[in-house]
Amino acid sequence: MATDLSHYLDNLRDNLKLDPADEKEIITELEAHVEDKLQEFKEAGLSNEDAVERCMGLLGSAKMLARQIYEAHSQGTWRQALLASTPHLFFALLFAPRGLVGVAWLPVIFGSFIAIVLYGWYHGRPTWLFPWLGYSLLPAVIAGLFLLYLPKGWAWVTILLYVPLVLWLLCYITIKAIKKDWLYSALMLLPVPSIVGWFLAMEEGGIFTAFRLERLRDFGPWVGLSFLVLAITVAAFIRLRQRWLKILALGTSGLLTSTMVILSSSKLGLFAFFGLVFLMLSFLLIPALLDRRIRHSHQQTAT
Amino acid sequence: MVRRNELMKSSIDSLLLFLISQQPMYGYQIIKELEGRSQGYFKFKEGTLYPALHRLEKEGLFAGRWQMLPSGRQRRYYYITEKGRSILVEKREQWRDFFAAMNLIIQPVKA
Repeated sequence: MATDLSHYLDNLRDNLKLDPADEKEIITELEAHVEDKLQEFKEAGLSNEDAVERCMGLLGSAKMLARQIYEAHSQGTWRQALLASTPHLFFALLFAPRGLVGVAWLPVIFGSFIAIVLYGWYHGRPTWLFPWLGYSLLPAVIAGLFLLYLPKGWAWVTILLYVPLVLWLLCYITIKAIKKDWLYSALMLLPVPSIVGWFLAMEEGGIFTAFRLERLRDFGPWVGLSFLVLAITVAAFIRLRQRWLKILALGTSGLLTSTMVILSSSKLGLFAFFGLVFLMLSFLLIPALLDRRIRHSHQQTAT
Repeated sequence: MVRRNELMKSSIDSLLLFLISQQPMYGYQIIKELEGRSQGYFKFKEGTLYPALHRLEKEGLFAGRWQMLPSGRQRRYYYITEKGRSILVEKREQWRDFFAAMNLIIQPVKA
C-alpha cells in the first residue's frame, strides 16, 4: 500500500508542471504531511492499508490537487510579464515605423538576445526565458536560408551538414522546454507561424533583395502590429492562472496574426490562412503529444 | 441552501491569516488546530488547505521556511509577513462589520 502513496505522489508530480525545485518542495511537504497523517491513523488503531486508503481519500484526486497547486504558482508578476513580452515588443518597434529600422542593428539585437538566453538558461530556466529563446534561434534558421542561395554545390553542403545540425539544435532545445512544460515550448515557437506568414507574403523570387526590403517597409506597420499582438499574448500568458486560459491565449494570438497576414497581403488567400492556422495548431499540439510520449516512456522505465 | 464546505472555502484565507499570525505553523498542525479550536466544525481537507497556503505565500502574505526535526524529517512552517499582517487588520475589520450586520438581522433589537 505504501507504493500506492508513492504512485499518488508521482502522479501529482507529473501533473504539477512547475519548476523542478518547486515541485520537489511541494512533494516533500506533502510527504511529511502524509507521514504525520499515517501516524495519527495508526495510533487510532487503523491497519496500514486502511490508514493509507483514508489518507489518499483526504488528499483527493492527484490531478485535481496538482491543478489547484499549479494555479497557485502559475501566475507570474507584472515584471515577469513585461520581461517575457519584451522580445516581441522589440520586433514590434523594429517594424512598426514603416519598415525595418536599421538592419545594421539586427546583429546587436540578436547578440543581446543570445546573452539574455544564456543567462536565463543557466539560472533555472524561468518562464520569461522562452520567448527570448525562440528569437535567439532565428539567426540559425535565417543563416540556413541564406546558405541555400550559395553557388551551386554549396547548397548541398547546407542541406547535408547545416540543416541537420540546426534541426538537431531545435529539437534538443524544444525537448528540453517540453520536459519543463510543453506550454513553454509552445511559447517559444509562438512567433514562428507569423514569421512564416510574413515571409510568404513578401516572397518575390530571390532572398532579401532590394525589392524585398522595399516590401518589408510596405508591410512594416502590419508586421509591427502582429508582434504587438504576440507581446500582449505573452503578457496575458504569464498573468493568467488557469492552464486552459493560457492555451486559449496562445491559440487566439495565432488566429489574429494569421488574419493580419492574409488581410495585408494581396497574394495570399484562404488556403494560406488555413495553412498558417494549421502550423500554429501543430506548434501547440506537437509539444503536447511529445510531452505525453516522454512521460509515458518515463513511466514505463520506472515500472 | 449554502453548503458548509462552500462557507468554509470562502473564509479559508481569513482563518489561515488569523491562525498563522499567532504562531508559525505547518500544514498538518493547521488542520488539527482549526479542527480543535472550532470544536470539529472546520475540517479542512489537504486538497483545500495546501493550494490556499501556496496561493497566500505566492501573494506574499506568508513565507514558508523549512525546519529540520531531530528525527531528520523536514517540515515547512508558514510565517505571516508584514503584508500579511496589514491584510489581516483589514480582514478583521471586515469580519467585525459582517458579524455586526448579521446580528442586526438575526437578533434584531426589539423596540
